[in-house]
Amino acid sequence: MVDSAKDTLNSEQLPAYENLLELEDLRVHFHTQDGVVKAVDGVSFSLNAGETLGVVGESGSGKSVTALSILGLVPMPPGQIAGGDIRFKGQSLIGMKDKDLRQIRGNHIAMIFQDPLSALNPVYKVGKQVAEGLRIHRGYNKQQANARAIELLDMVGIPNPEQRVREYPHQFSGGMRQRAMIAMALACEPEILIADEPTTALDVTIQAQIIELMQRMQHDLGTAIIMITHDLGVVADVADRILVMYAGKPVEYGTADQIFYEPLHPYTWGLMRSIPKRTIDDDKPLTPIKGNPPSLINLPPGCAFSERCPYATDRCREQEPSIKLISDEHFSACFYSDDEEFILNSPIYDDAEELKAQAAAGMLYTGIERDAEDAEDAGGAAQPAGERDNTASTQAGESNG
Amino acid sequence: MQAMVRYILRRFVQFVPVFIGVTLLLFAMRAILPGDPVLMIAGERAISPATYQKIVENNHLDEPLHVQYGYYMSGILQGDFGHSYQKGRSVTSIFADKFPYTARLAVAAIAVEIVIGLTVGIVSAIKKYSFMDMLLTLSTSVLVSMPVFWLGLLLQSFFGIWMKKVTGGAFSLPISGAGGPISAYPDWVHLILPAITLASVSLAVTARIMRSQLLEVLSQDYIRTAYAKGLSKRDVIIKHALKNAMIPVITFIGIDFGSMMSGAILTESVFSWPGVGREIYLAITARDWPIVMGGVVIIVLIVMAINLLIDISYALFDPRIRYGTNRAD
Repeated sequence: MVDSAKDTLNSEQLPAYENLLELEDLRVHFHTQDGVVKAVDGVSFSLNAGETLGVVGESGSGKSVTALSILGLVPMPPGQIAGGDIRFKGQSLIGMKDKDLRQIRGNHIAMIFQDPLSALNPVYKVGKQVAEGLRIHRGYNKQQANARAIELLDMVGIPNPEQRVREYPHQFSGGMRQRAMIAMALACEPEILIADEPTTALDVTIQAQIIELMQRMQHDLGTAIIMITHDLGVVADVADRILVMYAGKPVEYGTADQIFYEPLHPYTWGLMRSIPKRTIDDDKPLTPIKGNPPSLINLPPGCAFSERCPYATDRCREQEPSIKLISDEHFSACFYSDDEEFILNSPIYDDAEELKAQAAAGMLYTGIERDAEDAEDAGGAAQPAGERDNTASTQAGESNG
Repeated sequence: MQAMVRYILRRFVQFVPVFIGVTLLLFAMRAILPGDPVLMIAGERAISPATYQKIVENNHLDEPLHVQYGYYMSGILQGDFGHSYQKGRSVTSIFADKFPYTARLAVAAIAVEIVIGLTVGIVSAIKKYSFMDMLLTLSTSVLVSMPVFWLGLLLQSFFGIWMKKVTGGAFSLPISGAGGPISAYPDWVHLILPAITLASVSLAVTARIMRSQLLEVLSQDYIRTAYAKGLSKRDVIIKHALKNAMIPVITFIGIDFGSMMSGAILTESVFSWPGVGREIYLAITARDWPIVMGGVVIIVLIVMAINLLIDISYALFDPRIRYGTNRAD
């Protein structure tokens, strides 16, 4: 089972760095004609080796900008690091010389993106792109790089890798491309893999396979993962800890169990009630969060979520709550999070058990129940995923023509 | 590879209808334009009825038009494009003389266009919105809107006349002809001003296409991927961006080269360059139809051949273009 694989990993002796990556009060602002957009406004978290952090929020919550700023990939201008620090193994990445930062990119911290088609260069063969990092960071020559690219493609479950390295991205299916992206990101065996909505652009049936692949890679290589998604379901059974973001700010931060069983922030409740459930229950309809996230230019005073929050009081609309420790490692940015009565009366607690059960069955992000055999394979065995067979056979035929 | 050969053969077959269409059009134009071809052949002099009759028979002018067309086409297939009315020489020998000049000018101009146009485009894309970028963009805007013959005249008066006066005759550039034994300059110097003039507009367009393409490519996701791998800005631009940005630029330069190879009427006229374009221009004013027709047919062949080369070259730059196969994606 997936969870058991994760548990073994957690019980293993981990490498020495306690905090592999630390973000401290990171602020990233964009200067636009309409004003300053505070895309990321005070985000802090730490990531341990081999751990998975889920970063969850709607579009525009600042999660992608947070990820990009870790690698220094935020375009500047218009972007600007307005404050805070990012430390990798204790070393600050902000203000680091481009030459030194390049040593970290791809080598120690790698990233995969939402749309694997546009993230791969259309004019180069997949093998060349997968092994490009090895040529820069490890000084591999062409033959070595090609041989390693074949191994990497094989490792991420791409059949017939000897032929596939010579093909171009457009000859790959969507799922295959994301597998190739993962192979590319893991080429230099980085300590951290940042996955920015890795499954959003994929078919629902492929999403689960990609998540499984990432878990297997994490298990085999000990890579820490930052999984960025708008879908709480995606991180449900993969994340050790979850950071929920809203309007550029962290609103709740805790272990996956805390976020799922004891969510404190009304926004997190809203996200959870938006997850489709396995059974249709007329008493508990899907409850979307009403309205849209606010514009990040000139945020009104008070809590950014107050306009959409069904529990908002005058205090919420006037004063901005800061994120604070509520219980053991569990943070929330709501005035009422330490009000036990308020929390226990929230509508979410009826559903939490069921959601968690669904998450364990891998159903939240697929809507399809995996059978026991499949789930077992996900743990580590190299059993090819269903996607492999059909795409492989059709594409192999095509590319010979 | 086989697919590529099939594609090329298919393109050759497509030449046939284009070729027939162009020649038919030219034939029809000759038929409706006023003027008696016999008199033009005779040099617009008074001639005896016997001579008149002889000219008519020699040139099949008494036959119906479609039969004349048949004669003309069968001549072309044997490499015979007819004879000039006024020069008494075969059209092929005239163009065989003129074409090397046109080709030399075209190659020089395209070299200027590629070197300067691409450099300007790349620099202004990388330094976008900088003072340098604005200066270069302004220059290309001016160049694009400048009539070619006027630019030619300006260059002539500046480098040929004003420079000569200012330097007391020590420095100037030739403004007429293609050199040869009587010229005071080496032959290649004669190329400078006509090549710059001919390249000017296209150079500016090349620079603008290059700039916009490169900017577009630089905003693509795969460029971010390349940075995320740890590549330097230089490597990202050279290895990942340029190859993608080049495809529209190559299309433009290729088509432009085709039109330059078919003779630049304005530039060749301003600089008295003895090339194909000027020859056709002179033939039109003199109503020397065999030269006009032969010239246009030769140009059509050249342009079609160059377009084919452009199409083939796409495949080298973009693997998504695969000829001869029908892919769904």
